[in-house]
Amino acid sequence: MTTEGTQKMRDQPRGFGNPWLQLGLSVACVLVSEFLLKRGATEIAEPDSAFSWTGINGLESPLVWWAILLIVASFISWLYVLRYVPLTVAYPLSRVVDVLVPLGCWMFLGEFISPLRWCGIALVIIGLALVAKPVAQIEERL
Amino acid sequence: MSILAFILIVVSLLSFVVAQLILKRAMEISATNGLRNSRFISLALIGVALMTVSFFLTLGLLQRFDLSYLYPFQGLSVIFIAVTAAIVLKEKLSLRLIAGTVLISAGVVLVSMS
Repeated sequence: MTTEGTQKMRDQPRGFGNPWLQLGLSVACVLVSEFLLKRGATEIAEPDSAFSWTGINGLESPLVWWAILLIVASFISWLYVLRYVPLTVAYPLSRVVDVLVPLGCWMFLGEFISPLRWCGIALVIIGLALVAKPVAQIEERL
Repeated sequence: MSILAFILIVVSLLSFVVAQLILKRAMEISATNGLRNSRFISLALIGVALMTVSFFLTLGLLQRFDLSYLYPFQGLSVIFIAVTAAIVLKEKLSLRLIAGTVLISAGVVLVSMS
């Protein structure tokens, strides 16, 4: 992390305005919206219609509207995060959602996770740790 | 997968990556010039428009393909965004960040393939 990056982190607001908390909120909203979008899109799927490639017919589903609401909330949090955190750090960290989706299905829905998928989850977690460690060290020093 | 589907996946991915870069630039401008700055407003609007294009294309693709099929392409966005942010926005990309980004992308692909 550069000196400029360290200075930016020192200037970060605390409490609800903390960009790391906002990143967590953004991830949580994306997580729920992914499930809602898939269910909503499946509900109103019209594979024979050429117009449905645009995805606009998805707006017929109330679940898609709930997902849009969550996406807007996540987007506002994300913009706030971008104000304080470099994109090269914030975006990879936001992909924690790729671990949370299968883990959530395993823990709460009792779905099976294959050994290959466990390997993928492990790789994402190691990658996240590599990206997050310098950030955590700076936070500790502040 | 048809050629049309492949083109739509690529367009969706590219519009998402470009939108992230533009929004990051917009938020940097807002930090120094405030939220009423005309350059911030125009960049933010372009970013939102590109995100909207990406969103509806993804919604259209989700009607034909499983989420698990489309997810590997989202995994690639991690690498694309990290590399383009380093080149276009001049952000520092350390060896550790590169390794972390590649592992996350590979992990996302594995999770969705299995």
